[in-house]
Amino acid sequence: MPANKKYLSSPFQRFLKITAGFFGGYFVMLYLHLCLTKLFDKTDILITAYVTGFIAWGILLLAAFLSKNGWLIWGIYLLLIAVFYGIFIYL
Amino acid sequence: MGYLSAFDCCVLWHLYLPLIILIMNLRRYNIYFNTHTISGIIICAILYVIFFAGSFSFFKNEINAWQKNESDKGGTYRNLVFDHLLDSINQVKELKGRDIAFYMQHNGHASYVNIGASQDTIVANRAKLMAAQKTKGITKDSEAKGEKKKKRGRGRRGADDSMYFSYDLATKKPSDYGDGYTMGEFLYRLHFLAPLNQIGINIGRPFGYTLAGLVSFIFLFALISGLMLHWDKIKSNFFVFRPENKWKTVWTDMHTALGVIGFPYQFMYALTGIVLIVNSVLIIPFSKYLYDGKENEVYAALGYNDNTKYTYLYEPLSTTFKMGDFLDKLESKWPNSHMNRIFIKNYGDRSMHVVALYDANIDKNFAGSGRIIYRVADNKILFEKSAADNGTYLDYVKGFIYRLHLADFGGYPIKIIYFVLGIMGCFVIISGILIWLVARDKNNIPKRKRIFNFWAANVFMAACLTMFPVTAVAFIAVKLATKVDQPFIFHVYFYSWLALSVFYIIRRNIGKTNRETLFLGSVLALAVPIVNGIKTGNWIWVSYRSGANDILLVDLLWLSLGIIGLLIFRKMLQSARKENDSAKQVTANEANGDIKKASPPKRTFVLKSNPTTEV
Repeated sequence: MPANKKYLSSPFQRFLKITAGFFGGYFVMLYLHLCLTKLFDKTDILITAYVTGFIAWGILLLAAFLSKNGWLIWGIYLLLIAVFYGIFIYL
Repeated sequence: MGYLSAFDCCVLWHLYLPLIILIMNLRRYNIYFNTHTISGIIICAILYVIFFAGSFSFFKNEINAWQKNESDKGGTYRNLVFDHLLDSINQVKELKGRDIAFYMQHNGHASYVNIGASQDTIVANRAKLMAAQKTKGITKDSEAKGEKKKKRGRGRRGADDSMYFSYDLATKKPSDYGDGYTMGEFLYRLHFLAPLNQIGINIGRPFGYTLAGLVSFIFLFALISGLMLHWDKIKSNFFVFRPENKWKTVWTDMHTALGVIGFPYQFMYALTGIVLIVNSVLIIPFSKYLYDGKENEVYAALGYNDNTKYTYLYEPLSTTFKMGDFLDKLESKWPNSHMNRIFIKNYGDRSMHVVALYDANIDKNFAGSGRIIYRVADNKILFEKSAADNGTYLDYVKGFIYRLHLADFGGYPIKIIYFVLGIMGCFVIISGILIWLVARDKNNIPKRKRIFNFWAANVFMAACLTMFPVTAVAFIAVKLATKVDQPFIFHVYFYSWLALSVFYIIRRNIGKTNRETLFLGSVLALAVPIVNGIKTGNWIWVSYRSGANDILLVDLLWLSLGIIGLLIFRKMLQSARKENDSAKQVTANEANGDIKKASPPKRTFVLKSNPTTEV
């Protein structure tokens, strides 16, 4: 029994979710870790990101699929990117 | 129209809440299910190749020894060798002003040696002149030969004045990369898809590595979604195995049981695999934002390299430098650690420095790394950190990633457990493909889709399952051939793989693909130690008696693969026969009834005639 179609989204929505999760998720993960370099040693954060970064990216990709709407998750991820980027650059 | 009181709302809410949660979970469950299935089926074939070849790469050194029939008894050398090596290079190539790097290999007695261009402009110009003359000669030669020389393998080429080669410190033999090619090296490089780099798809980075990285990331994603999918049932289903039921449940139970048992292992591999093959997705942005775009500096900060440049002074070194003495002293100071990398900067100049990176012995310290920076001119140590000191956070994380991925921390027992877990990963992938196919072989699925599904599963199974016999064939071929080099192994492996896959793809019978590749592979696997025995005289008992453990291990590995394969094959034949009997009985009993409805449990999925898939 394949998954019940009722719970899956339309092709365009799915496209939005995949791009949000893959690209958006990547930059959220990246800027989050860059933010952490403000608090901790940058090399330590880089080596930590080897582990946590890829897991976080995978989870963010899955989270995108779980969202109700592809636009919404793009919005959330863009907001997170803006916040983390802002903290990293201006703080 | 009456309004609901606050109380009614409350009651309703409490009534509906469980239902809402259930609906939410159903939705989530289906999303996990779908993402897990799709991501899994996209990567299955490549992932199988990675797991299968990767499992054999644990025994890379053993396979090398087996193929060359030279047991590696852990050759020993004295540090004096380095001085001899430098002297002999100095006679062909003036070392003055050059950077020299030694990268120790895993067996502990061979090293890659890199000799860079000289900082000394006089030496550099002289070398350039010589190189130019040489290349002129070479181009003339190759023009005469009809430009037969092709680039292959790795290593540096071109008219620049550097040198790169491998040097065995114990036997004092240098070796060129392409000629020393072995099955161990081949399978090792196949497991991160290095051969795909050469097929000419240009994406600005090595295509094979990028693909391997992408596949491991999707694998990580499939693991996370798979874990979420099975989370609620992990405890209740942990011991569920229903081998007597129909195939669908057998595949499902196998997939879930092996997947859950192997989960930590597979998760670790997905993660460390991504890090080792595409860490550039983190290195590049980090270097851009934090290290002024200098990737070299990032690698230096992570302790992979030492890129410090020391200004060249054009003043010859007044003292003499004996590398052997230096290393002897260092090793008496740092017992319980071994050399990893040595960098010599500005050789022969007053600005000459030696940087030595040492690793702690694994049984003493999982993640220690030592570094010493030594200035030759005034015999002064500029920096020193012993590998026995408590490792930094960086050392630990790096140590964990490498040790866990390479399985080099516990000798053969660990490697064998890893190998078994790796092959188990292959079973998880195969059963996953079969679940995917069986679950979609229903009457309510359009015929066109069912044909496509069967076609896809058929191709995947043919490509994956033929790897077992093909690998065995390649092991036999390298024993029988007189000269083995990279093109030979490529031809044997890839052409036989292609031929066998095409045969099974055209045959369109997954049951037969399964059984025949298993049988063929097992028989060939049994033949591997026999061929080795006949060809070299190193029968299993001979290598056991002579203590050639590495050669023995490869023979035993193939022997056990063959025996286990044949046992499984016998079991499969028995169950197939049983089923054919029961199928005959059923059809006889209900000869005048509706046969299709009363068909026996689907254990022989494609073996039995199935109208949509056999067409």
